[in-house]
Amino acid sequence: MDVDLKLPGQPIQIPRGPAPQLSNGVYSRDGQVRASLVGIPIYQASTLSIRRVRPHPPTSNSIVLGTVTRLSPIQATVSITVVDGIPLLPGEEFTGVIRVQDVRATDKDRVKMGDCFRGGDVVKGVVISLGDAQSYYITTARNDLGVIFATSEAGYTMQAASWQEMRCPKTGKIEKRKCAKPEGL
Amino acid sequence: MSTNFDRRRINGPEDSFSPVLVDDDEDETKWRPGKPRQSRQPQDIRPIFLQPGLISQANGSAYIETERTKIACAVYGPRQSKNVGYIERGRLNVQVKFAPFSCHKRRAPIRDAEDRSIAVLIHQSLVSSVRLELFPKSTIDVFLTIIENDGIDSCVATGTVAASTALADAGIEMLGLVTSCAATLMGEEIWLDPNHDEATAGASTLVLACMPALNVVTSVWQNGTISPKQGLECMKACQERCETIHSIVAQSLVSNFTPE
Repeated sequence: MDVDLKLPGQPIQIPRGPAPQLSNGVYSRDGQVRASLVGIPIYQASTLSIRRVRPHPPTSNSIVLGTVTRLSPIQATVSITVVDGIPLLPGEEFTGVIRVQDVRATDKDRVKMGDCFRGGDVVKGVVISLGDAQSYYITTARNDLGVIFATSEAGYTMQAASWQEMRCPKTGKIEKRKCAKPEGL
Repeated sequence: MSTNFDRRRINGPEDSFSPVLVDDDEDETKWRPGKPRQSRQPQDIRPIFLQPGLISQANGSAYIETERTKIACAVYGPRQSKNVGYIERGRLNVQVKFAPFSCHKRRAPIRDAEDRSIAVLIHQSLVSSVRLELFPKSTIDVFLTIIENDGIDSCVATGTVAASTALADAGIEMLGLVTSCAATLMGEEIWLDPNHDEATAGASTLVLACMPALNVVTSVWQNGTISPKQGLECMKACQERCETIHSIVAQSLVSNFTPE
């Protein structure tokens, strides 16, 4: 049995010195820091947490991946399938919305939804708020956010040609999307 | 019968009774009200078998068995709440199902009042332990299947322990593990963890749920006639026994833990 393994409710001894920041899996009650998950508490700089790689609901600033399920001139509905790099279980997706003013940072009033997303596109975005009863609000107004995977009308996976164009490799046809800048470029 | 009928299923005859194989009245070994407790002391509980993580599809699960009470529990979520307004805190949804073969008489696979009242009691025991403020707009589903039923009080207590273990197995943040113990008042004696026969013979039953790690009681459910003094004694006895159960839960979670 691991000595450091903590169970929910078990007190965690804090070394002398400045109090650590409490993160996932730990809480403080009546001045005593306790675990709220099964796991081993670890320090990262001054943050104390118990890590648990489990699917969790999006919070603000979560990076999410999702599929566009519905498109209207005002907003695009996205079915969130990955939150912070952790895939959600099938059937447990969350619904997100990209409003027209959250698509890009510049020229916001000239955004046409149909020129930025299409149904079935996989979009990378950041949650800006918990939104309303139905959905989370997502923004793609950053260079590294936007469509990361899309198929052309002919049915082939397209390649990004610029930040607002994608090209079909078979037909050479250009389609409009709000593309995400690939990582490491 | 009309409310308890589901035309989509193959229904048995309207009333059927299992054959009585042993003549109950002549069975000398059977426990009868008035006799001293069989095979254990009044303050003893039945042996507990607890195994987390048996249901692979679920986010977290637990199976618990104490002699003739057998309950499987599965936890799903947190998933997005549907058809409700914006809520800052998460919701804990508890559903209890009886297997058709769980009781002495066949139980039609339809939701009735009894499983819902058990669900409400288990929900009450658990809800203050889960850190629901961390799950806005989300629902955590807890499904319990009673495979064998040996008294409602025992089902509530055992189900609470199984559900709390399953929540811990699912990695849902909690203030502490919840354990629960039932007691029945048999004359002047307090019998802990009664089975069905003992609970029905007793004058009063009490189910207490608590978080032993924090020394906090989350729920008390009492039935029948009891004096305040005896009630407090029952609660004290239950709380002590809850600590024993807590160590069983802790042991099962520790032995099931795999570092990621």
